[in-house]
Amino acid sequence: MSTPAQLVDHSALKVNQTGIIATVLVAFIGSAVFRPLLVLIPLLAIALLLGTFAPQLALFKQLYFKVLKPRGVVKPRPVQDRPEPHNFAQGLGGVFLAVASIFLIPLPVVGLALSLLVAVLAFVNLAFGYCVGCQIFFQLERRGLIRA
Amino acid sequence: MSAQLWALAVVGAIVLAAAGLETFRSRRARRRVFAASPTGPAGHLPMNGEEPYILYFTGDSCTVCRTHQEPALARQFHVYTLPTTVVMGADGNALHINYGYAPAPKLERQLADARGAGLRSAATA
Repeated sequence: MSTPAQLVDHSALKVNQTGIIATVLVAFIGSAVFRPLLVLIPLLAIALLLGTFAPQLALFKQLYFKVLKPRGVVKPRPVQDRPEPHNFAQGLGGVFLAVASIFLIPLPVVGLALSLLVAVLAFVNLAFGYCVGCQIFFQLERRGLIRA
Repeated sequence: MSAQLWALAVVGAIVLAAAGLETFRSRRARRRVFAASPTGPAGHLPMNGEEPYILYFTGDSCTVCRTHQEPALARQFHVYTLPTTVVMGADGNALHINYGYAPAPKLERQLADARGAGLRSAATA
């Protein structure tokens, strides 16, 4: 059964992806010279997970809606779409970053690799419009394992 | 710094493996589609005579790209990704297959290419 489409502002999604990439890159590169910057990874995980369950707490999306959009820095791009797959993708990114956070101290290579993977997938979505998390959502939904 | 380099190497390997796998899958699907007859197991594919056309596959969960479902055709074209668009030549042969969202300029380019191919074959006939 299809779910009725709503208008989703894809600019908000793009800002979210940019925020994820930038934060992970700062943590990844910065931690080479200043290790405490690794704390950005668990903070980003919290921000993504909070934003998934309470959209009003989505840090980068709120930055877009409250600052960038009203000032005309980023133009809105409403598209008839479902928000659920994008939320799922964001939540998946949050989960990956949460797992990465657990590994950051005992096994930094694993923690950093997982974080970087999230940034790579966010970049693929930002640059090519291919949302791996959304694909996983669609597959799970098709198999009846998830319901929007 | 070594942890960063190792992590970069691990992610690089994962990305390369994924890209390689996708290329292999995509090429295999294309080979199968291009080898398939226009009147394959899915039955008849319309032959438009003059104009190339697009086959557009979607599903219930893909609300961005909703259209009619053609499961038999989807099987014939090995559609595992939604949306998938196939640009068909006027003779009913698949000329371009786009797995994933294909933006309008790309489709227009492929349609123009299909028209060009049609004109070339008409000129040599």
